[in-house]
Amino acid sequence: MVIAVAVLVVGGLLGWLLLRDRARPGRGEHYGAAPSGAEPQVPAELPVGAPIPEELRPLGRVEVSGLTKMYGGVTVVDDVSFIAEPGRVTGILGPNGAGKTTTLRMLLGLVIPSGGVARIGRSRYREIEGPVRTVGALLEASGAAEGRTGRDHLRVLCRAAGLPLIRADEVLDAVGLARAGGRQVHGYSLGMRQRLGVAAALLGDPQVLILDEPGNGLDPAGIRWTRDLLRALAASGRTVLVSSHQLAEIEQLADDLVVIATGRVVASGTLEAVIGAHAGLEEAFLELTAGRGEIR
Amino acid sequence: MSATSPIAGSRVAVSARLVRAEVMKIRTTRAWWLFAGGFATLTALTALFGWAEHHAELYPPSGLTNEADALAQAAADRTPAGATAMAASMMTSGQGLLVLVTVLLGVHVVTSEYAARTMTSTFLVTPRRELVIGAKLVTAAAFGAGFWAIATAADGAMTPVFLTAQHLPEAALGSSEVVRAVVMGLLAYVLWALFGLGLGAVLRNQVVAAVAAIAIYAGGFAVAELVVHLLNDASRASWLLGLAVLAPAEASNVMIASGRAFQGAPPWWVGALVLAGYGVVLAGSGVAAARRQDVS
Repeated sequence: MVIAVAVLVVGGLLGWLLLRDRARPGRGEHYGAAPSGAEPQVPAELPVGAPIPEELRPLGRVEVSGLTKMYGGVTVVDDVSFIAEPGRVTGILGPNGAGKTTTLRMLLGLVIPSGGVARIGRSRYREIEGPVRTVGALLEASGAAEGRTGRDHLRVLCRAAGLPLIRADEVLDAVGLARAGGRQVHGYSLGMRQRLGVAAALLGDPQVLILDEPGNGLDPAGIRWTRDLLRALAASGRTVLVSSHQLAEIEQLADDLVVIATGRVVASGTLEAVIGAHAGLEEAFLELTAGRGEIR
Repeated sequence: MSATSPIAGSRVAVSARLVRAEVMKIRTTRAWWLFAGGFATLTALTALFGWAEHHAELYPPSGLTNEADALAQAAADRTPAGATAMAASMMTSGQGLLVLVTVLLGVHVVTSEYAARTMTSTFLVTPRRELVIGAKLVTAAAFGAGFWAIATAADGAMTPVFLTAQHLPEAALGSSEVVRAVVMGLLAYVLWALFGLGLGAVLRNQVVAAVAAIAIYAGGFAVAELVVHLLNDASRASWLLGLAVLAPAEASNVMIASGRAFQGAPPWWVGALVLAGYGVVLAGSGVAAARRQDVS
């Protein structure tokens, strides 16, 4: 008797836990698959939220001071300091392996710094309550499980963040993945994965956007769309911090630059100031990073 | 930002939605069907095996060298005490094998996130990593309890039929011995889930953690059995034999067995304490490892 009751109680609880989502709309919908190989069309309207009021913009200021990371005895990020201002696109430029990704991961609380501190507004990332409402990040293409659909990937994030699940569909629409959302990430092209990553970064309509190599794998139209989106986000008073090793891309996008080579900041300031007396960004970059790591 | 934003919520509210997110993660990939289908199949097989095994005990084949012993045992099995032991055994049929599924589920819940690189977005949404691992522990434990409910329901359907068919007293089912075995079974499923999850959080690699879990489970069992047999020949010190309970799989057996699980075995509660010790230590190590380690 006792056993029967215990089984019923536990079974019932588990069943309730599992089935409570089933009644919600949107689950199990099947969208027609896009023709294979074709990149989905992106809506003309850019998914930029309401402008950030002037008085709140300082909360989106990103301040990195003295960030250092050592692995074993090797210093991969060495005393990196810079500021990304609200309303501007700040580009982190550097050869592969310069420490860009590690710097961004320390800023986002994923890698624990050996020294220094990074703040967004007045807080470290790990101190921010409900950080997706403040900071959106894209670190690697999608970062989604291969066997999960794009929509479910975003819905899991919504659930964990306490956002309404419908947000997943809204951002999928916004990045042009509405039709592909019901398919497993397994079948996505690199460009579609990048879009899914951008969608995840936009989930909480954040004031600060941090993107690691967002142009990777995108076709020319996708690159153009991403550039327009990031410019529009900055114009709305948001802080945009983008890393890249593609000079032409960053030259068209960034207001401010931080040039990193072998873990150190070798130049920073406005785009014009970094180019300075050089003929262009490429000459400036090559000279600044000369003899420091591999350039591709 | 003095006011708490509605999204932040209390620790309990955050934990509750994290658990729901974890359940969603399990249900939105193929792993869900693999674990549920695998467990259901194994449950059916072990229940049938339990039936066959006990049937064979009651009707020993003739021509055995120790036929008299076997017949005496079969007679003893038909006493009230024998029937109780048999009922307790059937109500926990195959548990030694079935808890392995729980261990692997625990391993999967955390290592799949490192394998798919989704741990990055998980920790971006919830930088308080102890809450994330805590939610995973709760989820794994809940699924462990669910597995227990399935297995107990199957055994609960089979055992009374067996007892009636064999003209054994059905009252044996309600004895405290049987209730204890079943309730301890629930504890075992939950603790093994924590064991697997903690191990996964420490080791991070899916294959390594799964192999280690099986090695600790089966290897520890084999070593304990071997040592017990060697000591059994060499020594009469039964407390030495009792040390076999330190192998987690033996501890699990000791806590559910009616009577002594092996010669010199300590009482059931010692097994429960040992397994609880392993579960708690590994779960704690998992939380500590997740808090400390870089995610890159």
